[in-house]
Amino acid sequence: MTSQRLQHIKDHILAANTCTEMATPPPSPLSTHVLNTGRGVPGAGMALSLHRLDPCTETWNLLISGATNDDGRCPGLITREAFIPGVYKMRFETGQYWKGLGETCFYPYVEIVFTITDPSQKFHVPLLLSRFSYSTYRGS
Amino acid sequence: MDPSKDNRPITTHVLNTADGVPATRMALSLHRLNTHMMIWNLLAVGTTDEEGRCAGLISGENLSLGMYKLRFETGQYWENLGQTCFYPYVECVFSITSLEQHVHLPLLLSRFSYSTYKGS
Repeated sequence: MTSQRLQHIKDHILAANTCTEMATPPPSPLSTHVLNTGRGVPGAGMALSLHRLDPCTETWNLLISGATNDDGRCPGLITREAFIPGVYKMRFETGQYWKGLGETCFYPYVEIVFTITDPSQKFHVPLLLSRFSYSTYRGS
Repeated sequence: MDPSKDNRPITTHVLNTADGVPATRMALSLHRLNTHMMIWNLLAVGTTDEEGRCAGLISGENLSLGMYKLRFETGQYWENLGQTCFYPYVECVFSITSLEQHVHLPLLLSRFSYSTYKGS
């Protein structure tokens, strides 16, 4: 069994983790920040989840789910150990978020799929979102 | 209603913001969510032209209310230009709530960023 395969199995077992449960999470090599550009405020309380593509089965493994804090951030997304090279997906429940604000959203959810080839770096994957637009970029 | 838009209720325009040019020859596909089976049905595949546009994604008569997905093969596009891209593909999922509207979905893309918005 390859170490990569072993990591995928570990991920299954740890998938019950939520980033909001950790009181003082160690720095995650992957971070996000949701900004509500429609209102000029952080996107607080947005449900999100992180997934990694299992290259053997071509299916997505859920790594963690949680919600953004008052600052629109979600600390503790992933540990250095679990952050192996691969294809990841961050899913943001944008429709649910805007519904909570009493509005509709053109996008029921946003999924950002990205490739990590060098996990020793820091990666910041923000989401700038309004009801009818969104953008993202690779930060550090 | 503009007759030329009658038959093109969903359009797109892909721009390579890194090089300041239209993104030509990018493969893309349009899908609609089958809510009974919760699977995506492929409606059309295409490639952007010299202007970064792709005609004939869906006709007005085939448009129905529901959830749609436009998938852009961004990794392949940048690979053809001899470069890598942070995003192997981009999928933009959106809701059509009215049959009257024309929905224009541009994608502004570089190797390390992208944005999209609902245009007309």
